[in-house]
Amino acid sequence: MAKPNEIIPSASFRKKLAERGGDTATRCYQCATCTAVCDLSKGDCLFPRRQMLASQWGLADRLASDPGVWLCHQCNDCSERCPRDAKPGDVLQTIRSLAIEELAVPRFMGRLVGNAGKTWPLLIGLPILLWIGIIFMDNGFAVPERVDYQIQRAGLEISLVDAAYAQDAHGEAAGGAHHGVEHVPGKENRIIYEELVPHKYIYVVYSTAFLLAMVAALAGAAKFWKLMGQGTERKGTFLGAFVPVLGEIATHKRFGDCGAAKTRKWAHFCLLWGFFGAAFASALLIVALYVTKDPLPLAQAHPYKIIGNISLLLLVVGAVWLFINRMTDAANTGTSKAYDTFFLSVVMTVVFTGGLTELAAFVFPPVLASIVYVIHLSAILTMFLTVPFSKFAHMVYRTLAMVHERMVQA
Amino acid sequence: MNNSAPLMVVGAGISGVTAALEAAEAGREVILVERDPSIGGRVLRSHNYFPKLCPPSCGMELNTRRVERNPRVRVLTGTTVAAATRDGEGWNVTLKTAPAYVNDRCTVCNECAKACPATVPDPFNLGLAEVPAIRLPHLDAWPQRYTLDRDACGSGCTACVDACEFGAIDLDAKETEETVAVSAVVVATGWRPYPLEKLDDLGGGVLPDVISNVMMERLVAPAGPTGGEIKRPSDGAVPKRVAFVQCAGSRDVNHLPYCSAICCLASMKQAMYVKERLPETAVTIYYIDRRTPGRNEEMLNRVDELDGVELVKGKVGKVERGAGGALKLRVEDVESGRLLEAETDLVVLATGMVSNLDTGDTPFAVHTDDDGFGLDDNAAKLFVAGVARRPEDVAASVRDATGAAAKACVAATGRTQ
Repeated sequence: MAKPNEIIPSASFRKKLAERGGDTATRCYQCATCTAVCDLSKGDCLFPRRQMLASQWGLADRLASDPGVWLCHQCNDCSERCPRDAKPGDVLQTIRSLAIEELAVPRFMGRLVGNAGKTWPLLIGLPILLWIGIIFMDNGFAVPERVDYQIQRAGLEISLVDAAYAQDAHGEAAGGAHHGVEHVPGKENRIIYEELVPHKYIYVVYSTAFLLAMVAALAGAAKFWKLMGQGTERKGTFLGAFVPVLGEIATHKRFGDCGAAKTRKWAHFCLLWGFFGAAFASALLIVALYVTKDPLPLAQAHPYKIIGNISLLLLVVGAVWLFINRMTDAANTGTSKAYDTFFLSVVMTVVFTGGLTELAAFVFPPVLASIVYVIHLSAILTMFLTVPFSKFAHMVYRTLAMVHERMVQA
Repeated sequence: MNNSAPLMVVGAGISGVTAALEAAEAGREVILVERDPSIGGRVLRSHNYFPKLCPPSCGMELNTRRVERNPRVRVLTGTTVAAATRDGEGWNVTLKTAPAYVNDRCTVCNECAKACPATVPDPFNLGLAEVPAIRLPHLDAWPQRYTLDRDACGSGCTACVDACEFGAIDLDAKETEETVAVSAVVVATGWRPYPLEKLDDLGGGVLPDVISNVMMERLVAPAGPTGGEIKRPSDGAVPKRVAFVQCAGSRDVNHLPYCSAICCLASMKQAMYVKERLPETAVTIYYIDRRTPGRNEEMLNRVDELDGVELVKGKVGKVERGAGGALKLRVEDVESGRLLEAETDLVVLATGMVSNLDTGDTPFAVHTDDDGFGLDDNAAKLFVAGVARRPEDVAASVRDATGAAAKACVAATGRTQ
């Protein structure tokens, strides 16, 4: 770890930064227009000029511990006004991806995800192999037959629910209805995925992955908090700063202060609340499944269902909105590099194969449906395991940077 | 083969006048063409020029006298080049001279201007003041003859004709045209300031108290719109704080990508003006780099020693309206690493120079570099002098013009260099 006045330039960091989309940093001549035009840059946590300088020198340790890197919401006011077209907005975005890598616990996971442009076959392949192994050990690839059932359905379900009621349906075939689901043989043909992957494996694998991700995220957070605090004096309590920060995040206040890319505020707002809503609805579903033992699938009018559907709507609206922005206003959305592409691809794969799994159960040949289902399960695992090292990690680091900023300026 | 036809110099600013005189004093006939009604160009619009800080009239007066006394220089003011074609070893050039509403019987008595009911924004003072439609262009104008903006006249008005005792005014004068054969051409069309309106992020064209460096020159000039008093355009108040914003639209891919080479020195010079007249006023110069090449570094040392002049490293990002008529600047002080929200009363944007070669006013096909500055064309006997060739100060322009005159003289002899 560097002493406060120690400068540790790293040529390899500079090279990595250039490869990942921060190559324009070399154009910077330190005029400081960027910092002066930024509406979010203030007090002791200024950006982007300092970070541009640190990028040119390759001061990886300073950038990894710099709150300014995360306080940026990438509105690209700076890139628009930069007299050298050094694109500080894009450089900061690249620095964030490299900072996630620097802060990653364990480090190798940070590097694996950071280099997704090269390592993606591994990141996607290993979970697939894991599921294939489990399936092989459990039933030696006994591809399920399509069975005739009439299921009284009440609309969209997420795949977990689907699997759950499919189990019920299967149970009914074996003799006896559960949870009030009415099954009438002979009307509908579908595959029961639980015959391929029993639920116990799903619970064990995802619980473990979730736990690992949480531990890694907390370890990264602790590391960042410690590094950020070196040489500065924080005042007040963490909680005292954390509560107003949560308020800022909930209302997207800083996004609103951002100049050049104002429309992104509401798109990101939809995504954030969509994600939270979906997570909340999933938690409620577990309550419904095991605590209140509500009949599944839930009726459309069920409050849990309404929360889930609104969240889904928000996610779709936010994603489409951002996608359109990206297509129509390339200058203000920055560059999408391999790291970003990987993150987006995994999320899209989860959503896409989720929907396809539903459809496949009814129309695909059983072998193909099974393949889609395994890809879906694997993509979810990839997503879970890479959360602390992917773009998702900004939830942790940006929040901490905002808390830190409040505490040093208190 | 020696082409004895005259040389032509286009533009009678300090560069064009110098090129014409050097060639004439070397024995060449010269036609000096100037679009404005008098010679002297932008140099005369400066209050003082560096590094000696003497008024430009003294340098120009000397040159004017040289022009006046040299029979080899033919000066055509109010004249533009309408067409130019290569003709054998030289050029055939068609010139258009604006109607001579006021002829050489004018005695500069000012009776016409007193009688004139129409006013126009004063081009010499960059539009900062209104002047009568008929007037002497400025105090040091040569030729000393009144000029009339005919477009500003009311229909049927003959107030000036009636006031003139000498019969010097002819409202029916017509534009004249002539074609001349010349052996070589020096283009010295100079520059114009980068438009303030394009710098609206810095308040340019939006806030009245955000002015450009060329406007500042007029504000301190005794013959300027305020009689030489530094006052804010909005309310006429004497500024307690003046801020200079360097590289306003210069070294910037969104504006002029190049350095104009003079703005740092101009601001330092203007900081001295302010301290001379308003010793209590605090001056701050916000810069990216302090570019004072060669012996001009002396200027930096002089400014550095002045009390109440602060040099802050950091490009101003925003200029906004502050409280109580003040202006608010947002800038990062790079050396201390602090973000400043500085208040000031008057902002001077150090705008750069744009080459006039892109205006299409001269039909000569001058090759230009990426920034619009002209390149010599030996084969076409077409040479470029002064700021039309590159951004530079008065002293460099004069040296440059001497070189261009020499090149043109040699080319006219038919020798290739």
